Amino acid sequence: MVKQQEHDQHPAMHPTRRTVLKSAAGAAALGTTGALGTFSELAFAQANLRAEITKIPGVGKGAPTDADWQKVGELCLGPTKASIKEGEFKGVELSFMGLNNQNLHNLLFRGFLKPWEAYTGAKISWIDLAQADYNPRLQQAIATGTVDFDILEMGAPFEGDVCGKGLASEMPDWVKKQIDIEDYVAYLKPPVGTWNGKTYRVTIDGDCHNFNYRTDVFSDAALAKAWKDAGNTSEWGVPKTWQQVQAVTKFLKGQKFKGQSVYGYLDAPKPWGGFGFYFLGSRATAYAKHPDDKAWLFDIDTMKPRINNPAWVRAIQDVIDALPSEPADQLNADPNTTGFQQFLAGIGSMIPWWGDIGQVAKASDTSVIGDTVGFDILPGSDDVYNSKTGQWDKLPSGPNNAPNCAYLGWGIYVMARVNGDEKKHKAAWSAAAHLGGKDLSLWTVMYPSGFQVHRTSHSHIDEWVAAGYDRKYITSYLNSQFNSYNHPNRAVEPRIPGIFQYYSIAEDELTKIFSGKVDAQTGANNIAAAWEKLTDQLGRERQIGLYKASFGV
Amino acid sequence: MQSSVDIADAVPPKAGMKRAVRRRATVGRILIGLASLVFLVVLVVQVLHAAGAIAAGFSTWRPILIVYLLWAIAFGTAQVLIRGERGQRALFLLPAVFFTVAVVIFPTIFGLYIASLDWNLSSIEGPHFSGLDNVRAMLSDTYYWNALGNMVFYSVAVLGEYAIAFALALLLSAEIRARKFFRVVFLLPMMLSPVAVSWMIGKSLLEYRFGPAATLARYLGWDNPAFFASPWMARFTIQAMDAWVSIPFIMIILLAGLQAMPKEVQEAAKVDGANGWQSFWHVTFPIMLPVSITVLIIRIIFKLKLADIVINVTAGGPGGATDTVSSFIYRVYRDRSNVGYGTALAMVYLLLIIVLLTLVLRLSKRWTQRVT
Amino acid sequence: MAVTTAKSAHRHPVAPRAKRMASRALIYAALLFWTFICLFPIYWTVTTSFKSAVDVTQAHLIPWVDFNPDWKGWRSLGLSPDTLFETSTARSEFVNRFINSIITSVGASVLALILGSLAAYGLSRFRYKFAWMRNDDILFFFMSQLILPPVVLALPFLVLYKALALLDTTFGLILLYTLTVLPIVIWIMRDQFNAIPVELDEAAFVDGLSAWGAFLRIILPLAFPGMAAAFILSLVLCWNEYFFAALLTSTDAKTLPVMVASQTGSQGINWWSMAALSTAAIAPLVLIGIFLERYIVSGLTTGAGK
Repeated sequence: MVKQQEHDQHPAMHPTRRTVLKSAAGAAALGTTGALGTFSELAFAQANLRAEITKIPGVGKGAPTDADWQKVGELCLGPTKASIKEGEFKGVELSFMGLNNQNLHNLLFRGFLKPWEAYTGAKISWIDLAQADYNPRLQQAIATGTVDFDILEMGAPFEGDVCGKGLASEMPDWVKKQIDIEDYVAYLKPPVGTWNGKTYRVTIDGDCHNFNYRTDVFSDAALAKAWKDAGNTSEWGVPKTWQQVQAVTKFLKGQKFKGQSVYGYLDAPKPWGGFGFYFLGSRATAYAKHPDDKAWLFDIDTMKPRINNPAWVRAIQDVIDALPSEPADQLNADPNTTGFQQFLAGIGSMIPWWGDIGQVAKASDTSVIGDTVGFDILPGSDDVYNSKTGQWDKLPSGPNNAPNCAYLGWGIYVMARVNGDEKKHKAAWSAAAHLGGKDLSLWTVMYPSGFQVHRTSHSHIDEWVAAGYDRKYITSYLNSQFNSYNHPNRAVEPRIPGIFQYYSIAEDELTKIFSGKVDAQTGANNIAAAWEKLTDQLGRERQIGLYKASFGV
Repeated sequence: MQSSVDIADAVPPKAGMKRAVRRRATVGRILIGLASLVFLVVLVVQVLHAAGAIAAGFSTWRPILIVYLLWAIAFGTAQVLIRGERGQRALFLLPAVFFTVAVVIFPTIFGLYIASLDWNLSSIEGPHFSGLDNVRAMLSDTYYWNALGNMVFYSVAVLGEYAIAFALALLLSAEIRARKFFRVVFLLPMMLSPVAVSWMIGKSLLEYRFGPAATLARYLGWDNPAFFASPWMARFTIQAMDAWVSIPFIMIILLAGLQAMPKEVQEAAKVDGANGWQSFWHVTFPIMLPVSITVLIIRIIFKLKLADIVINVTAGGPGGATDTVSSFIYRVYRDRSNVGYGTALAMVYLLLIIVLLTLVLRLSKRWTQRVT
Repeated sequence: MAVTTAKSAHRHPVAPRAKRMASRALIYAALLFWTFICLFPIYWTVTTSFKSAVDVTQAHLIPWVDFNPDWKGWRSLGLSPDTLFETSTARSEFVNRFINSIITSVGASVLALILGSLAAYGLSRFRYKFAWMRNDDILFFFMSQLILPPVVLALPFLVLYKALALLDTTFGLILLYTLTVLPIVIWIMRDQFNAIPVELDEAAFVDGLSAWGAFLRIILPLAFPGMAAAFILSLVLCWNEYFFAALLTSTDAKTLPVMVASQTGSQGINWWSMAALSTAAIAPLVLIGIFLERYIVSGLTTGAGK
């Protein structure tokens, strides 16, 4: 909110990366000193605790086990003990619906909540869903009145469907205090997590696409020489704009690195249940998100799709142009493939992804590339499309960057059905607050959990180094995250109901484009037409209202 | 083989017991009447209760299920009382009929209702009636027609699966050593879940870089073994994966059919001096024809529902080349929560299949009769 | 082709020894080839459960030669020797789902086999007439239950099961699975009964048995191969059913396939645990296959006795 207003007052201000970094660091420093000044002893104990939990089991010592989760949950029980008497929730039974992603998420929560259950006496039963089933299950439960869960793990894009229909319970003030809600990074503060001014969400995750690249490829002398030999005047290095990404990708086709074929950027043309659209979005935001304009996906007053404007069509065309330079099977690659079967397995040298890549590259068993990953905010563009004038603008401040704040992360929500029962209500919120605890969150963002940094207090590099991270690596990673979150021209996803329906329709049409059945403009026009139809079906007036609300207008 | 002879009809009811029979019949009719009355009363009470008109009633509809069960038992007993031997014969069929009706009647009616709605779950106004609009929208939906086109390919491919399965069934019924081992091994592919097949085979074994199938293909001289990048290759690969899972299904039924085949018939062929191919074509194949048609039809019906593997492995791509009707409906219904339209698509599909199936059954019946 | 030559070889024992050898060789070559086709993916799955990420992405094939097998996949499920006695959420989850899967699929298959065999016998032996429906129409009515893509039944079944309080119950799942496999059982069994000569029934009637007596004592034992085949098929279909399991269960009745699907998501794919789960999931089916396969063969002996 604060950031957003600041930006409004200085529409012409385009901070360089350095100023953004400074302001982030400043905000972080403020957070700590504030805490230290008021409760210095407490803070000291807390610092100890944070150091202790982040050493379980230690970065680089393999994936954490069940016992580790429980230990962390036990150690972070302090705030719960302060507000809840032992055995206070005896006899309360709660039902928790969330994901089981690779035996993380819900299974992790089970471990964290076991000590909580033992202390409070409450009992939790679990509903685990595979990610693909999550959206339909939720929508169908709402539609048929079969909501059978008290606590829900949910992504911000679904807030329109759940909070908008009055199904969630408003967050009590003691929870806000316990989880230190002010610590959230700017873009996750209201309006995200709120609906009609009421707060609903305990944020446990931050989601934004950053740019992941291979440091060894971009510092390789042989490739640098070949780059020069190919007639390039610029230095061989990490691309900063999409124009450079395209050039490097085309150059790398056919080149060898460490005796193997090397590839540049990896696109994800195969649909992925709507999530694949974010990856086109990451290519498009630098073209489509003008600093003077909040909107980038739809026109703000009419919800007229912008997907077929020159900016988006250019991004689509970029994919078409790059695909021949990518691996031969790229047409059947979804983001899961590009991220985990290609990039982390050593194929390709640039991808956009959520923070998972950086978190996993070091601390999980899925990765084979380890320390050779570098991070940045998404590349910019030399020119940016201005929807109002229909012109491509060259900004005086240089390339236009617009990090794609895709999905906005997971959160814990308590359902309204506990509201009638005082004890149950308190128990459910206590469980949610425990999972969203400040210290606990530090552990989840450091270790494989599926969750990324989302608090200002996650930016202390020393804490990460103490846990076993390499300083250079983690600095690069955290900067890419926080600089995206705090970027004044960040492209924040609209939290309108049915947003994934728009994505899913677009994915279907995009796969036709990428396989060469239709050209970029025709395909984009098709998407726009289908989106218009969908907006009408969902109720145009209301969608416009919610779209505006998602910008805080 | 088509020997549905009505044996018992040949046995006339014995005379002299007419009175006892008539009394039993009366008891039976009373039983049906009573049971129906009870069922109706409970149903009406529950409907009124659910509508909020009266306070008496049950919190859930489960008691209705129990009353229905009791009614079904009473109905069955009454059939025996009223119609004697013929009633007993009806008892063979009734449980399955009552069961199926009980489970599908509501979903079918409700499904037809949904098909006539403009209902997107994310729309806050909720559903509203739109008549045949969904069907009209379907007519111009290129995705649907594309998927239907693909289904033709997938269905025809069943014949290939059938040929392989028949060969395997014959191999297994030949005199071989370690027969038990081969039988069990040939059954194994069926047991892997479609989810596991899509990932462990589609995404791992056939993976472009590290999949052993790709390695083998490179060794055999195919430089770019991308199994899912070009339309026809992708279609064939999906079909091959599905065949791998389903050939054992066809095989096991054919095998059971071969085992049930009377030995005398083959012996007779042998005596006639027919060679292997002749005895297969003139004896084994015709005898196996009813079983074959059954298994082909079941298999095609299953094929028409093909979805899991496509969704996981290609998501219908590249460019819709591998899309199936079910996987498209899946996207509409689940990913886009457009349940009215999705249901309408499925209902039309159902209708289409029923019409085609009726035709096929008629034709096959005529054909079977001619051959046997 | 191999088969037919083999048969003729068998029929003409005077045929040259060389020709016979060649046909035997062909038969075994075909058998071994198909064995490879069947087994390799399963071998790949089983070995993957012992691989680390590097071994997966570098296509290592043979344990101890290519890669050092590790209990990786099994450890993530709490089923490796070193984690077997520690608490493991994943393991209790797995065991819970495994038991539910067994109860649900066996329950549904048995129910479908009982209902289906009865109906199939009826349809095979007697002429029915319900209103306008005759035998073929009735059979078609059952068959048509197979056709509808299950996805569109999501909302209707949610509403129905909510009303009947059957959501998240094993019983509810059994009912639904019975419905989905019933048509197949009916069709397979009807063909089985059709293959058994009617004269056997008639003989039973002459002996004074009723229709039910003839069915239970004489016909049913002869139809065993078909029942075994139908049971295996039903069991496999129920065991692997994913869609309704994900929709209609929450805590108490949840089954295995959802857990397999959960091994992929926003953090890539845990090949090893997916492989371990798949391996563990087919193990009971393999056992049942080995056990029941005998009864399919038993058709040989009963058939010969006809």
